[in-house]
Formats: sequence, C-alpha cells, structure tokens
Amino acid sequence: MHVPTDRRARPSPGPAGRAVAVVAALAFAMVGCSSDDSEASSGSSANPTTTTGSSATGAVTVSAAASLTEAFTTIKDDFTKANPKASVTINFGSSGQLATQIRSGAPADVAAFADQAPMATVGDANLLAAPARVFARNQLTIVTKPGNPRGIKGLADLATAGTISLCAQTAPCGKFADQALQSAGLTIPTGSVTRGPDVKATLSAVTEGDADAAIVYVTDATVAGKAVGTVAIPEAHNVVASYPIAVIKASDNPKAAQAFEDWVLGPEGQAVLRAAGFMAP
Amino acid sequence: MTLSVMTLSAHIALRLGTLDLGVEVDVGPGEVLALLGPNGAGKTTVLRTLAGLEGVDRGRITLGDQVLDDPTAGTFAPAERRPVGVVFQDHLLFPHLSVLDNVAFGPRARGATKAAARATAREWIDRVGLGDLAAARPAALSGGQAQRVALARALATEPGLLLLDEPLAALDAGTRATVRRDLRRHLAAFGGATVLVTHDPLDALALADHVAILEHGRVTQAGTITEVTSRPRTPYVAELIGVNLLRGHGEGHRVDLDDAGRGDGARTGDGALTTDGHGRRGHVSVAIADPASGPTLLLIRPQAIALHRSRPDTSARNQWRCDIAGFDLLGDHVRVRLTGGIDLVADVTPAAVAELGLTEGQPVWASVKATEITTYPQ
Amino acid sequence: MTTPRRRPPLGVVVAAGVAVAFFALPLVGLVRRASWSTLADDLGSPDARSALGLSLVCSLSATALSVLFGMPLAWVLARVRFPGRAFVRGLVLLPLVLPPVVGGVALLSAFSRQGIVGGYLYDWFGIQLTFSTAGAVLAETFVALPFFVITVEAGLRSMDRRYEDVAATLGAARRVSFQRVTLPLVAPAVIAGAVLSWARALGEFGATITFAGNIVGKTQTLPLAVYLQLESNPDVAIALSLVLLVVSLTVIVSLRERWLGPS
Repeated sequence: MHVPTDRRARPSPGPAGRAVAVVAALAFAMVGCSSDDSEASSGSSANPTTTTGSSATGAVTVSAAASLTEAFTTIKDDFTKANPKASVTINFGSSGQLATQIRSGAPADVAAFADQAPMATVGDANLLAAPARVFARNQLTIVTKPGNPRGIKGLADLATAGTISLCAQTAPCGKFADQALQSAGLTIPTGSVTRGPDVKATLSAVTEGDADAAIVYVTDATVAGKAVGTVAIPEAHNVVASYPIAVIKASDNPKAAQAFEDWVLGPEGQAVLRAAGFMAP
Repeated sequence: MTLSVMTLSAHIALRLGTLDLGVEVDVGPGEVLALLGPNGAGKTTVLRTLAGLEGVDRGRITLGDQVLDDPTAGTFAPAERRPVGVVFQDHLLFPHLSVLDNVAFGPRARGATKAAARATAREWIDRVGLGDLAAARPAALSGGQAQRVALARALATEPGLLLLDEPLAALDAGTRATVRRDLRRHLAAFGGATVLVTHDPLDALALADHVAILEHGRVTQAGTITEVTSRPRTPYVAELIGVNLLRGHGEGHRVDLDDAGRGDGARTGDGALTTDGHGRRGHVSVAIADPASGPTLLLIRPQAIALHRSRPDTSARNQWRCDIAGFDLLGDHVRVRLTGGIDLVADVTPAAVAELGLTEGQPVWASVKATEITTYPQ
Repeated sequence: MTTPRRRPPLGVVVAAGVAVAFFALPLVGLVRRASWSTLADDLGSPDARSALGLSLVCSLSATALSVLFGMPLAWVLARVRFPGRAFVRGLVLLPLVLPPVVGGVALLSAFSRQGIVGGYLYDWFGIQLTFSTAGAVLAETFVALPFFVITVEAGLRSMDRRYEDVAATLGAARRVSFQRVTLPLVAPAVIAGAVLSWARALGEFGATITFAGNIVGKTQTLPLAVYLQLESNPDVAIALSLVLLVVSLTVIVSLRERWLGPS
C-alpha cells in the first residue's frame, strides 16, 4: 500500500512561526500591561526626575485648549530655554475632548483648559494633584471675512448672515457662544450653523472655507490678524472664560510638571499670555 | 430561407508583431477552403481580418460586391457590419445567456424582434440536434454540444461567409470525430463561402474542397486536397501527410540531393563513406525512373522503403546504410525513423521488426525501387 | 483513496489569530460599552435620526454618482490605450492614499467660493457647495469613486475580451455589445465596486467636515455625529457607532461571497 510521503508528525513551528509566536506574545503582554497603568505605555521616556535648584528636567506632556496654541507654543520655547534639561510636548484640542482623554487614562502631566467645567470633571475623578488655578481669562468676539463684506455689526446680524461657524457645545467656546447668543435673546437657524470640533477648526471655517462669520476667542482673532475682520461683542452679552491649569496626579514627572505650571502663572508666562490678548486671571 | 451567395476575394498584407502576412484567398459560394499550417503561421490573423476584427495594411477584401476592407479607398467595414459568421475555438458561448438566447443573439443584434429571433434560434438548435437543451446554460453542455451551439449561433444570422477557427481543437478525440461528421453535413448544406482554419489535416480532408498551406505568413502551397497530398512541396506538408520529401538537382536518371542529412557522413550506394577530404559530407544520389532535370522534389512513401539487416541482394538501385533513430507504433504498422546518409521514415509491419531484430541505434540497410519514387519539379 | 489533509503551518495560524484578535477586541469592547437598554431611545433622538437619514441620502447619492462617472472612467482606463494612462490612473486613485482632511482642503481650494471653479459657480449661478448637503455628497463621492473605479477596472481587465469579438461578429454594435455582453459579464465587479464605494462614503469624516462643515440636518452625517456627540452624549455616539458597525459587517460579509466565491 502506498504510504503518503507528505505525512509527518505535527510540524514544529519553524523559524517564521516562532517569530510570529513571539510577536503575538508581546502583543498580548502589552495589552495586559496597559489596562491599568496609564503611565506604563507613555510615549515619553519615564525617567523619574528631580529639579535641582530651579532647573526642571525630564519630559512634560501638556494637554492644552486649542485657543492656547500660539501662546503656549511660545511659553514652551521659553520654558525649555530656561530649563534645558526639560522637554515639553503639548497636545492641543478642545477642552472637553482633552478632559475625556485624561479621564480615560491618557498620559498627561499638566492640563490647561479654557473653562472650569471640564477641569471639574477631571477633579471629580480624583485625578488632580492639587486644586486647579486660574491663569488667564478670555472673551469672545465675532470674526468675519476680511473687510466684513456682510456688514455684520453685532450678534443680531448673525441670524441672517449666511453660514455661521461655532464651536461644538462640548468645547468651552461653543458653550460660551450659545450663552452669549442666549443672553442677547437670539437664535441662529440650525441650518446655518456649522459646529467645529475645536476653536481653531471653527476659525478656519472662516479663514479657509466659506463660512461668513464665526464666534471665537478674542485671542484667536488677534492671531488671525488681517485674515479676518473683527466685530466686538458688547460686555453685556459677552462671556468671560476662566482658564484653569493643574498638575495631574498620575504624572511621571510631578516636579517638572509643577515647574511648568508655576512658569505659566509666573511673570514670564503671564507676559506671553498678555501679549497674545488674554486677560489677567 | 435565402442564404447570401457570394464569392470571397481577399488579398491580405499586414504586419502584426513578428508576423509578416501576405496571402491571397479566394473562395466561391458553397466552397470550403481549409487554411492549414503550423502554430504562429498567421492562420488566426487571416481569419480575424476576414471577420473584420483586424484591418489589413495593404490589400483588399471583398465579399460579393461588398468591399469589406480597402485601405487605399479608405473603406473598412467593422465586424458588426459584415455578413460573416464565426465559430471560435473555445465555442465562446455567452455564459450568462441560455442556449436559446445565445443563438438568438445574432438575429436580435441585427434587428429582429425578440420573438422572431427566438423562433429562428429554435429552428437552428433543432437542426443541430439539440432541441431539448434550448433552455440550458452553456456551462451545462459538453464540449461537443457547445461547439454545435456555436455553429448554430454563427449560422443563425445567415452569413455570406462562414469562418471556423480550429473548431475541433478543444474537443477530445472521440467527440472530435462525431462533431466532424456533423460539421461536414452542415457545411455541405451551407450555401455561402467557408474558410476553415485548422492544424489537423484530418479536418481538411474531411471538410474541405480546397486547402491552402500557410507557413510563416505565406501560402506555400494551395490546391485541392488530392493535388496537395499527391505532390507536397514543403517539409511541413510532407510531414503532415506522412511521406518522405527530398530536394535535389535532377541529372537525368539521377537526382543529387541537396542536403543528404545529418550524421557523420554520407554513404554511397555501396556503403562507403564519402567525404571531400576535409571531413565534410558528400552528396547522395538517388536513382529515379523518369528522367528529371533542374531543381526536383522527390516523394517516397514510407511503405515503399524496405529494410534489411545486411546489404540487400535485390535489383533496387537505391540502397542506403542508415541508423535507426527510433520507432513509433502507429496502429498496425511501425514507423521507423532513419538517419545517417538520408533522413527517412519507413513503415514496416511489427512482424518485420521482430524478424529483423531491429533496435534503436542499430545500422540497417534501406532500399527503394526507382519506380517507387515520384519526382516533380520544385 | 483520499489524500491526507495537510495542516496549515502553525506560524500562519498564530499570525492570523493575532490579526483576528486585533480586529475583534475593539469591536467586542464597543458592543460591551453600548447602553443596550437605552439603545432605541438613543437612536430615536432627533439628532440621531437626522444623522441616520442624512447619511443614508448622502451615501446613496455619492454611490450613484460614483457609478455614473466611475463606469466610463473604468472603461477608458481598462480598454483605451492613451498616452499618460498610468498617470491618470494614479490621479484617480489618489484619494485612496490621501488623508481625508487633506482631501477636504483640496476640495475647498477647488470648490469653495474662493476656489478655482467654486468662484464661478457662486458668481454666475449663486451655487455654494460648501456647508450644503450637496457638498457632503461631493466630499463623499471624492473618496468613494476611486474604490468603484479600481474594482470595475480590474473586472474589465480580467474579463475575456473575446466575448466582445464574438458579439461584434454576430452583428452587435458597440453599445449593444456593451449592454448585453460586457455589462452582464462584469456585473459582479460593478456590484462589488458599488457596495465598496457606498461603505466608504458612509464612513467618510475628514473631507466632509472640512468641506461641507458640520451642520445638523444638512451635513452632520453619522461619523460627524459620533465624533461630536462623544463627550456630550456618549451613549448616543456609541449607539450610532453600532449602526455603522452592523452596516459595515453586513457589507463585508455579503461582499466576500461575491468577490471571492466560485464564479
């Protein structure tokens, strides 16, 4: 009887198979490890550091509201110059989103938001090292296409000025814009409102896209400069946003994180913020 | 039912890739021309130009009084405007249509109503003997059935010219014979001109009146079957028929062969090796009955060659010492391939092989009577 | 005598297992996270219903446009030899590799009121494509059409072209031949292409939000709704995600049979 020559005992994996098995084991190990430790899989090298004298060392990850983009980029450069052994990474986004990320375990050392509410949710989850401190304030303004072609004079005109770009309600600027409109007794028809995920996207709908106007922060209008026209919102209807900053409890680098927070609150940080148009805390 | 009765007259010259084609084809109504040749000779290209799937570079194709292709006059009728039916090698029945709709496709495409087209289709399907398979899909048919449907489909449009591209090549040997017989019947009933492309001489024999041999894009021989088979002109044809064809220069009752064959030397009638002193082969001369002069072809049927173990003591003036290159058993006889002085094939009975104790590589003597050799000018 | 079945190599099985886990785990997580008790209410909320309806309308329109314009394009790419064909094919397939937001920015540069063509559209006809449902359809078509073209072009190429020769010899003009022979033969590829492009259009986010904006009832399709609802109303967002998940799974499962089953 013919015995099939290709019948063998159960084959051993062979070099390729073994490599895959190792990879698979690693994959599962990583899955297993990262579920509880939010800092274990942090991208930055987790060296516990100490500040010797006034110099911070190590990596600091900052989650900052989108409206802080330009100001905090400058602050980051200044801070790194003064603390050469430190490196700062900033993650910009809508405060609501950033808060959700931190609550879900995203590795951040410092949080700087455009509103108290999202910071409160982080505090309620017992994730803050110490109570947050307000480091700046901001107000809203209307921005239009350069030269204000639609002749918008105030909030009331927004209802009939074409497509208006506002932030999503989960972003502080969106919540504030709704507040401002409500306090003026105005509603813009839903079909004319496009909601951006954060204030920078909201702004770019006017600067890059076809939106006729947007409600953003005064500081964003300053940054945009000649790319937009500006129409002020009267104090009566305007909203003052308070910007809190705090160190996250689970931070790998609490000393440097604290140093960064102090810097923002200190004279150098405040000078940058003032220059950008933020009001004093 | 009226069938167009037209004469095909085609002069085709075109270059396609490495093929340089230059042929002339004329077929009258009711006639069947077989285009026979090796692969790559250009047979399918000829068919495609006749069908209108390719255009000629130079030349002219007319069918009846319709000019199908004339580059100098700027006329070109594409396939869909020619009264031509084609049966392709792999039948190529539309897989998504039933047998009935396949056959009805042509009439419908040419303007008939769906009902009328289907009625015509049913007639044709019955005529090829597949009436009960009208609703079947091509995938359910056997090779022979599919080829018959393909024929019905081509004929349903009542073409003036029928083209068949190796219609039996994809069938197994048994089916081939049956389908060939059917095809013969249908071709006889078809009133238009038919061009049949094939590499199988049996097809030509069974189906065609005339045959044209196509080699390397040129017609090397044409005529009736009898003419071509009785007087082959090229090695290809000779091999096709299965005869020995030699070329030489006639000197009266003797023909000096041009190139006697491979091997280590030519041997003369008395078996001695002839060389010209530099080790190159000399010529073999063949004795013939009727005198010939000038370039001559010699036809020797394999059956006319007798084999002997030692030098024969007969009156045959042609006796050559050869080596056996191999045997092929063909039915009830054995074809012995000989090489050495001359390359020949000889047909002997199996008994003779046994009696002579012939083996491969063995030297034998081959003899042919002069009267058994047919000669004709090249 | 039956031949003994060879076991697949262990390494291959393990690697495949890892891949399956990679895909299955997030989906399992999503299903677990969903609030099943409030699912009906979540999906019935006005914003959810608006997003569902809008997504359906936009994705189907985008698919229709992809078929309408993709069919001739696929045919030309598969059948017609012209100089620069490879370049044109690369151009058409570009949205496949372009980040969708970049695609949105590109669409703005062409079709916004300041765009190359958009300017004329607005000045002469008063048509504004941005921030409109038509704009959402445009954005979705931009990303979906290449899927259709690549699928159908492959189908046309792999089709036995001799059938078209046969149809011609039977007297069928090009249009008839295309309708009655070519189209039925590439129908599986056309259907697969349409389904793939529909699935892609349904899931499109970056180009839509950049070009058409995020307007409830006009341009807030399912993916945009999910993104925006995630912090304020996570249950609704996840319910909507489940809808997308079920649709996608159905598409893939049904496609596999057509695409890879016996012909």
